[in-house]
Amino acid sequence: MSEALRVMVVDDHPMWRDAVERDLADAGFDVVAVAADGHQAVARFPAARPQVVVLDLQIPGPNGVEVTETVLRHDPSARVLILSASGEQEDVLAAVKAGATGYLVKSASREQLIDAVRRTAAGDPVFTPGLAGLVLGEYRRLSEPAADDPDRPQLTERETEVLRMVATGMSYKQIAERLVLSHRTVQNHVQNTLRKLQLHNRVELTRWAIEQGLDEPDGPA
Amino acid sequence: MLRLVLVANTLGVGLYTADEMVRPALGGVVVAGLVAWSLLVTWAYADASRRTWRLLAVDLAVALVALVLTPVAKPEGFDATLAGFWVMSPMLAWAARAGWRGGLLAGLLVGGTDLLIRDDVTQGTYGNIFLLVVGGPVVGYLVESLQRAAVERDRAEREAAAAAERARLARAVHDGVLQVLSLVQRRGAELGGEAAALGRAAGEQEEALRALIRAQDRVSARGPATRVDLSDALAGLESMSVVVSLPGHAVELDADRAAEVVAALRACLDNVERHAGPDATAWVLLEALPDKVSVSVRDDGPGIVDGRLSEAVADGRLGVSGSIVGRLRDLGGRADLATGPWGTEWTLTLPREAP
Repeated sequence: MSEALRVMVVDDHPMWRDAVERDLADAGFDVVAVAADGHQAVARFPAARPQVVVLDLQIPGPNGVEVTETVLRHDPSARVLILSASGEQEDVLAAVKAGATGYLVKSASREQLIDAVRRTAAGDPVFTPGLAGLVLGEYRRLSEPAADDPDRPQLTERETEVLRMVATGMSYKQIAERLVLSHRTVQNHVQNTLRKLQLHNRVELTRWAIEQGLDEPDGPA
Repeated sequence: MLRLVLVANTLGVGLYTADEMVRPALGGVVVAGLVAWSLLVTWAYADASRRTWRLLAVDLAVALVALVLTPVAKPEGFDATLAGFWVMSPMLAWAARAGWRGGLLAGLLVGGTDLLIRDDVTQGTYGNIFLLVVGGPVVGYLVESLQRAAVERDRAEREAAAAAERARLARAVHDGVLQVLSLVQRRGAELGGEAAALGRAAGEQEEALRALIRAQDRVSARGPATRVDLSDALAGLESMSVVVSLPGHAVELDADRAAEVVAALRACLDNVERHAGPDATAWVLLEALPDKVSVSVRDDGPGIVDGRLSEAVADGRLGVSGSIVGRLRDLGGRADLATGPWGTEWTLTLPREAP
């Protein structure tokens, strides 16, 4: 490993925070900051400049979704991995739309956590079957005739197929074999489903801001 | 307000009949007294703390005095009393304060006095008095029911608020417990041996608690369910070996159709346990399309060997598979089975509405 990955851990349960921090440090990551709530997370992020933020959604202060938005606005190259105990569906989906690229339940093993942090850092989305189901559901919702949105994002048939397989617990390797694709192609399809949803979310936010007259001329983003 | 309208009427009638009066001065004093009393008592009744029995008694007494003085001020065979319809207001006050009994008592007193002061009772007068005596208890009864309803509503609101607060506190506690259970589960699995068993137990408890929270959330809002959220029903199937993926929104179906889907799904999961072994994991995915609903169940078992299924069908040993297919057909949908090195997958598809 050329240089240790810089990671920040945000969790309000000290026991959990310590456990995750120790696991990551043992695996050779550089834990540059920890935070117990949203305020600390947002305050410590700029100085610590982590590459990956391991974030619990259920935290006091600005919640996980808001923290995701704030840190990614500050540093778009950072990655957010959601580590959540209670699997609150709406929150997870909101965090992903706000830019988080990974989601892991807390009962995942240490190996899974370490692997997830590595993959998140590499820009590879980390999906649980549950998250894939949510994303799929969100696309379905957006494609319903009632949701009258001219630039709603749509999945290609292949993307839908891949996402359904992720949602039924198949690994990228299994999917690649079943669909006779390369591992990289499967990864790209999954990445695209997220990217389109996040882009749409940004467009929605901007349009909403313009409609509300909130679009201040602060230069190109 | 009503009292003020009534007193205005009394004042008008008093002025109009002033020239007929035997003692116009006395009549004027009585009507003026009624006007003054009305203003005072309207102010007094506005605040609940001033609505005392003494005030009510004086109010009623004023009406009775006005009635008693009528034959003195007015000529024999008078039609309207000095107070006129105004006598209604103390009676309504009694009804409002003391329910139907108060209304009846005040009505009888006012009506009785009215009868006593008259030499002859015309049909019109009798009608007015009869309405007065009947009206008192009726208004009193209505007031009582309204008060009961208000008390009932207040209690229901308080209970709802208390339940919401309990649920909020429970969620906070549950979240903490869930965090600890998942930590124990994770550490246990890493340590191995006895700790691993402990970890598994913690994992099972985590699932159980999560199911309980979901069940609790479900009770709170819904009325009698003819339509149910299939997401809720499927979420209840999650366990250590079953992973359920849901869309983030409700998928409503008729309750009996949803029950059939869940039954078919249980059959699929039983199948997984039987054929793929107890260590196999099953994944359930619910998808809601505009006109149909699809539920997929995949296991990571070895899959069904080529030809085994058709062999079984040919032998008439359809068993569980047959029941799954049959259930879905009855719902106007279909059940498809796919198998390969990646496991075995059932896809149950059915239209949202009954055919």
